[in-house]
Amino acid sequence: MLAVDLNAYIPVGILVLMAIIFVIVNLAATHVLGPKRHGAEKDIAYESGMNPIGTARKRFNVRFYILAMTFLVFDVEIIFLYPWAVTFTKLAPQSDEATLFLGRIMFFIATSILAYIYAWRKGVFRWD
Amino acid sequence: MSAWISNNAQLVTSIIVILVVIHLALGAAAYLILLERKVAAWAQDRIGPNRVGPLGLLQPIADGLKLFLKEDYIPGGADRFLFVLAPGLSVIAAMIGFAVIPWAGTLTIGGQSVKVMTADISVGIVYLIATASLGVYGVALGGWASNSKYSFIGGLRASAQMISYEIPMGLAILCIILTAGSVKADEIVAMQIGPGHQWYILHQPLAAIIFYTCMLAEANRAPFDLAEAEAELVGGWHTEYSSMKWAMFFLGEYVHMFVGSAFFVTLFLGGWSLNPFGVGPDLPLGGGIGMILLQFGIVLGKVFLMIFLTMMVRWTLPRFRFDQLMRLSWEGMIPVSLLVLLVTSFMVFMGWIGWMWAASLATFAIIWLAHPLLPRQANPNRRIPLIGSRFSPLSDKALGP
Repeated sequence: MLAVDLNAYIPVGILVLMAIIFVIVNLAATHVLGPKRHGAEKDIAYESGMNPIGTARKRFNVRFYILAMTFLVFDVEIIFLYPWAVTFTKLAPQSDEATLFLGRIMFFIATSILAYIYAWRKGVFRWD
Repeated sequence: MSAWISNNAQLVTSIIVILVVIHLALGAAAYLILLERKVAAWAQDRIGPNRVGPLGLLQPIADGLKLFLKEDYIPGGADRFLFVLAPGLSVIAAMIGFAVIPWAGTLTIGGQSVKVMTADISVGIVYLIATASLGVYGVALGGWASNSKYSFIGGLRASAQMISYEIPMGLAILCIILTAGSVKADEIVAMQIGPGHQWYILHQPLAAIIFYTCMLAEANRAPFDLAEAEAELVGGWHTEYSSMKWAMFFLGEYVHMFVGSAFFVTLFLGGWSLNPFGVGPDLPLGGGIGMILLQFGIVLGKVFLMIFLTMMVRWTLPRFRFDQLMRLSWEGMIPVSLLVLLVTSFMVFMGWIGWMWAASLATFAIIWLAHPLLPRQANPNRRIPLIGSRFSPLSDKALGP
């Protein structure tokens, strides 16, 4: 029942392939069909008519980085919860095994809630 | 040939479904833009596009043709490879999300039964989580590659927003999986059809609200369209894009909206079911070709209604500010969805699946009653009393009481 049927993934491959072909055809068509006129002023990045000062690839606010790290904690946690959820629903309600399953996952969630509270107290979620 | 078809009936069905759905989605994306403009016109008491063809129905074709003939320009400082890659990624990520949606029940034809969905893979809904995350790349790379400050800020905002709203979305889907006991989308739909099986929007109204909000944010739809906030960032991450590359970001957005609505229909609105309450007659789980087409039509109708709702939301609610957006996700929806998850797993543990709706409503009531008791942040919209801010050069102590 749990054996992985790799043949089931063939349509996914076909879908990805079709999407890629669609994208390539579109990009190529618009590249061929459109006019091409280059110019020094046209090459400048649009900044509401001002001459841009320096490059745009500067250092940016570290909050985005910290937020991404916090996101990783939760995203990995959620991925671990999916197999748990499927197995947990198969168990008999209120059985010993179900209690063990629930207890373990509650501990797991509690650790990430701890991390969440820590991040909150550190001001990761403050954007004012 | 016919022997090969009957031996690979599922694969042939999958390919037919892919062909139908891809054309449907791309055609729908084009016409959704027209519909959006018509809805906007309706909401603002205007007429909307009505020049190209009857009622403006040829407008998407004219727009597409025009966009193909526009100059495909890459600005000077741009990273050329990533600049071309980004719009492609955003369309691909949106288009491959279709794979696990059940468009209709089991088709019985010529003594064989096949599922009317693109790929009957065992991971099911987890595939949705994976593809939904891929959408970030197109936006983030497009913003970075353009070498424009508007694009850069737009791309950063979009990535922060998308990853923030993915967590409550994942937790809301987890609640549905705990209720249904399966990650496969067709089994989740089957659990909502027939006697004694209600739609999951009745079981889990709170999770439905969370999922819908996250869907709006993931697709960069108003009121969460911070990344392309035209009043602040010109065009956000697609400021520097032109011609079909620009249009592909929009194609990606509308296809994303279509996929998201289809997933909402699958998870919460019972797919092709017409009877939410589980008592009385309902459509069967499968049947002949006529029944399958009817079910397909019902799913599409529900998807259309969800998209219409999304458009009405856009023209009803004002745009969020960025700190409000982040607070809504991290200090609002994540704790609430964790609470919903804990309540759901407790109900599953006790075996009270039938009373899930009561638990969900009770959770909602508890949150409603308890939220005034929570520690409140000072008005974040302050302009003058900067002393409390951690960016203020003066601390509270320096000024004294």
